Amino acid sequence: MSATPLKGPNELQEQVLAKKLCSACGACTNLCPYIDMVEGKGAIIIEPCGLNEGKCYNFCPKTHLDVPALDKIVFGSYREDLALGTNISVMKARAVDSEINEVAQYGGVVSALVTYALETGEVDAAVLAKSQDQISAEPALVRSRKQVLECAGSKYLVCPTVSRVSETMEQIRGGKFCVVGTPCQITAIRKMQASNFETQVDRIGLLIGLFCTWAFSPDVRSLIRETFGQVKVVKVDVPPPPANIFVVQTEDKRFGIPLDNLRRFIMPSCNVCFDMTNEFSDISVGSVEGEENWNTIIVRTKKGEELLQAAKNTGILEVRPLEQERLNHLREASLIRKKRVLTEKEADKVAYLRIRDEDKSKIIHEKGGS
Amino acid sequence: MSNISIDEPRKKLLLMGNEAIARGALEAGVNFCTGYPGNPASEILGTLAKVAEKFEMYVEWSVNEIVALEAAGAATAAGLRALTAMKNLGANVCADFLMTVNLSGTKGGFVLVTGDDPLAHSTTTELDTRNYARLADIPLLEPATIQEAKDMTRYAFELSEELGLLCMLRTVTRLSHSRGVVTLGPIPSKKRLAEFSSQDLWTSGSSSITCMLHSVLHEKMKNVQTKFEESEFNQYVGKQDAEFLIVTSGTGWLYSLEAINLLRLQDDVGILKLGTTWPLPEKLLASYLKYTREVLFVEEIDPFLEQNVKMTAAELQAEGIGPIKFYGQKSNHVRGEFGAGTGEINVNTVVKALMEIRKIEYLPRRSEYSEKVQKIISSYTPPRSMSFCAGCPHRASFWGIKKAIKWYGQDVIVTGDIGCYSLGLLPTGFSVEKTLHCMGAGLGTANGFGNLKKFGLDKPVIAVSGDSTFYHACIPALINAKWNQANILYVVLDNNTTAMTGHQPHPGSGVNALGSPSPRISIEDICKSIGLEVRVQDPFDLEYAVQNIYQMLQTEGIKVLIFRHDCPLTEAQRREKKPVIYVDQDKCIGEKCGCVRFCNRVFKCPGITWDYTKGKAKIDELICTGCRLCADLCPEGAIKVEETV
Repeated sequence: MSATPLKGPNELQEQVLAKKLCSACGACTNLCPYIDMVEGKGAIIIEPCGLNEGKCYNFCPKTHLDVPALDKIVFGSYREDLALGTNISVMKARAVDSEINEVAQYGGVVSALVTYALETGEVDAAVLAKSQDQISAEPALVRSRKQVLECAGSKYLVCPTVSRVSETMEQIRGGKFCVVGTPCQITAIRKMQASNFETQVDRIGLLIGLFCTWAFSPDVRSLIRETFGQVKVVKVDVPPPPANIFVVQTEDKRFGIPLDNLRRFIMPSCNVCFDMTNEFSDISVGSVEGEENWNTIIVRTKKGEELLQAAKNTGILEVRPLEQERLNHLREASLIRKKRVLTEKEADKVAYLRIRDEDKSKIIHEKGGS
Repeated sequence: MSNISIDEPRKKLLLMGNEAIARGALEAGVNFCTGYPGNPASEILGTLAKVAEKFEMYVEWSVNEIVALEAAGAATAAGLRALTAMKNLGANVCADFLMTVNLSGTKGGFVLVTGDDPLAHSTTTELDTRNYARLADIPLLEPATIQEAKDMTRYAFELSEELGLLCMLRTVTRLSHSRGVVTLGPIPSKKRLAEFSSQDLWTSGSSSITCMLHSVLHEKMKNVQTKFEESEFNQYVGKQDAEFLIVTSGTGWLYSLEAINLLRLQDDVGILKLGTTWPLPEKLLASYLKYTREVLFVEEIDPFLEQNVKMTAAELQAEGIGPIKFYGQKSNHVRGEFGAGTGEINVNTVVKALMEIRKIEYLPRRSEYSEKVQKIISSYTPPRSMSFCAGCPHRASFWGIKKAIKWYGQDVIVTGDIGCYSLGLLPTGFSVEKTLHCMGAGLGTANGFGNLKKFGLDKPVIAVSGDSTFYHACIPALINAKWNQANILYVVLDNNTTAMTGHQPHPGSGVNALGSPSPRISIEDICKSIGLEVRVQDPFDLEYAVQNIYQMLQTEGIKVLIFRHDCPLTEAQRREKKPVIYVDQDKCIGEKCGCVRFCNRVFKCPGITWDYTKGKAKIDELICTGCRLCADLCPEGAIKVEETV
C-alpha cells in the first residue's frame, strides 16, 4: 500500500509479534531466512535482518491496515457498504456436482469454483488449506480436481497459507494461480499487491475469501485428542449461532464441545480482526444460517463476478437470491464484530486499523451501518 | 614433519620442540607412550606414533589423561620405559594417580610431559603445571632450548629409573612449537621385556605404609637435589660476583640473554638459568646469592622460582647471605600484557623490568617504526574474528540450536565445553554457548543448571560437547544426570575426530594412534545402555536438526541428540574431488530485503566472500569444502552446486 509507512522486522516484533497479534497467516514467512513460522506460536524472528524496512512488516495484515487506501487500490473506490465491504452482489449458491457435495462443508461453492478455474485454464494451480486429520491445517498447492477435493471441508485451525505463495510462484513458473484464504490471508495478499516491493503477485489470478469469525491455535488438538483419543475424525464444524458448539464427527458418532470450553484456544489476533466476510477478496464464501447445504456468496470484483457467472452458466453452480432476513443477520453480525473491535479497550491492539473517523463513529453509534 | 628416527649420532637436525622431546624419548629407549591430545603437547605422541613400528614401541592415544598416566605407570612398574604427554589441564585430570604413583614409584624410567600455554592461545586457563611437581614432590625439568628439550627428556628417563620416581618435564607453547637445530644422540638398540608377577607389589599403600613411602619419597628427593646441584642444565653467565642477578628458567633464559645484550649490561648483571627447578639446587643458588644485592626473577605464568628461591634465601640469611632485594611478579616488574603472572613474556618484558629497576633509558625503536609496521601488517591481514572453518558442521549445529531456541520462545541455558565448538560462545557460533570451562564441564554444570527448579530456575538446559570429549569426560556426568533426573538436552557434536588438536583418532573413530583398525565404540550405544533417549541427526539437514532440538527441548529428563557429520578437513583428505559451488550472479539479491547478505553476513562461512563492488556473494573456491549447505540455505536459490565426476 502506498500509504503504508515502510518499517521492518523490529516494528513487526514490537507491534505484532510481541502483542500476540500474529494470526499465523504466513505473509512474513518464506520471504527470507530470518523469520520462521512455528506451529502454535506464529511467526518468530530468528534474528533481525538489520533492515529498517521490509516485506515482512509491509505484508502483515496486522500492521497498518489502511482500509480506505486498500479499498481504493483493490476496488478503485472506497466502500459504500460499511457492514460487508465493497460488493457487487450477495446471494446464496451451491455446487451441483454430487461428488463435491459429499465432501464439502456446506454448499461446496469453493471447491466447485476452484475446480472450474483449474479445468477451464483460468488458473494453473491453487493454494488451499489441507488437513491430514480433518483438524489441523497446512497449505497445499493443488493442480487437479482430485487434489481440490482432498482439500474440501472447513478447517478451524490457523494455516500459514500465504507462506506457500512465494514457493508456488517458483513452482509454477509463469503460470497463474488462485488462493483460497481467510480474511487475514487475503488481506496480506492484497497488501503484497499494493506494495512497492518486487513481487509477482499479479500472477495471482483470483482470491477466493472465506468468511471467518476466528481460528483455533494448533494447541487445541491436544484437547481434542485427550477427549476423543485415537478415533478417526471425519469432519469438524462450527455451526452458525446460536449453536455455540464445536462439532466433531467421527465415523459413527457426532459430538458437540461447548465453544466456551474452547475459547482459550482462539488465536488472540482473531479478537481484534475487523473483517468477518473477507472484504478484500474477489469473491467471498460463507455458510448460510440454518441451511447446511448452501453457501452465502459476496461478489466483490468484476473478476469474481465473471467467474461466478461463467460457473453458473456452465451449470456447475445453482444460484439463488439470499433471503432479506438472512442478509440482515449477516450485516448485523459483521457490524457487531466491527463495533467490538473498534471499541477494544486495549487501543494499541487495534492501532493497526485505519478507517475513516465518520465510519468509525457510524459503526459504533448506529446499528445497521450503510 | 622431521624424520626423528634417523640413527646418526652427532647429526644436526632441525626439529620442532615437541619433536625434540619425542626424539629424546627415543634416545632414552622409550617403550610405552600414552597421552591425550591437547595444545601445545599434541605433536609429542603424534610424532612417536609415526615411528612406533620401527622402534617396536607401544603408542596409544588414551581416552583421557588419567588413563594415559595409569597405563604408562603400569608399563614402568613392569620395568619398561614409559612417557605420557598432555597439555596443562590434562595434569588436573591425571592428578589423582600422580599423587599416588609418586609414592608407589617406578621400576623403568617414567616421564610425564606437560605442555603449558601462557596467554592461553588454545586453552581455557593459564595453569602452571610446575606446581604439580612441587605438590607431588617429583623432579621437575624445564627446557629452555630445543636442544635441551631433547637432552632433558633423555636425562629424565635416566634419572627416573635410577631413583625409581616419576619425573616431570614442563614445556610451554613457544618451546613446543618453535624449531631449532638439535644435535642427535644415539638410539639404543637394547630391547626390554616387561616383568610383573604376583610376587610384585606396586602401591602407595595406606595409613602407616603410605607415611613410610612418603618418607621414602622425601629421601629420594634429597638425592635428586644433590644431583641437581651438579646438573649441566643449570648455567650461569656473567661475572661470578655480580651484584645484580637474574634467576630464570624455560623461555625466560633466551629472553634474558637478549635483554642483557640489548641494554649492554653484560658486565653488571649475571644470569642464573635453572633447568632443574624442583627441587631447587640450593647450594648452587647460594654460591651466586652470596654476592648478590638484587635479584630479578624472569619466568612465565606463576612466580614458581620466585617463591621457592625466596624461601631458600630466607634460610641463607642465617649464613650471612643477604639482605637481597627481590624483583619479579610480586614487585610487578615482570608482567605480561594483562599484568604480572599472566600472559606470555618476551625480550621486551625483561628489558622493561631492567629499565624500571635500574633506571636506564632505552628506546628499542622509534615509535614511528611501530606505527608503520602496524599499518603494513593491517593492510595485508584484515582484522578477523575467530571462526569455524569453511564447511564446519558446528556452524550448522549452532544455527540449528539458535533457531530451535527461538522457536521454543523462552530462555534456554546452553552450557559449552572444550573443543572447536568452544567457538559457540562467539558470533561464529551465534553466541549460543554461555559457559566454558574444562573438558566435560558443559555436561557437568548442566547437571546443576538442570536441577535448580526448586530454587526458581526452571529453564531448559542444552549441554554441548564434542565426540572426543564425550569419551574423555562426559560419561560420569551423563550417568549422574540420569540418576539424579536432571533436565538436560545433551547435544554431542560428533565430527568423527579430535579436530581441534589436529585430528587425532578417538574411541569412536575405528582406528588407533597408529592408524590401525580398532573397535569402534558407539556413542549412541553407550547412551542407550544408560537408558537414555538418543537421536542421531546430520546437522546439514538443518530443517530436521531444528525440529529435533525443538521437540527434545519440550520433554523432561536427560536425552541425547548426536549431531553427526565428519569434519570437512578430514573429509577433504579422503575425497578426490569436490563439487564446484558458485553464485549465480543474476539470482543473488545481495543486500535486498529477502536476504540481506545472509550467507556472508549472518551464516558467515569463510568460504563465502563478498564482492563489494557488485554487492553480491562469491565463493572462495580455495577454501570452500563443497559441503553444499549454503546452497540449501540461500533464500533465492542463487548458490549452485556443480557435481564433478
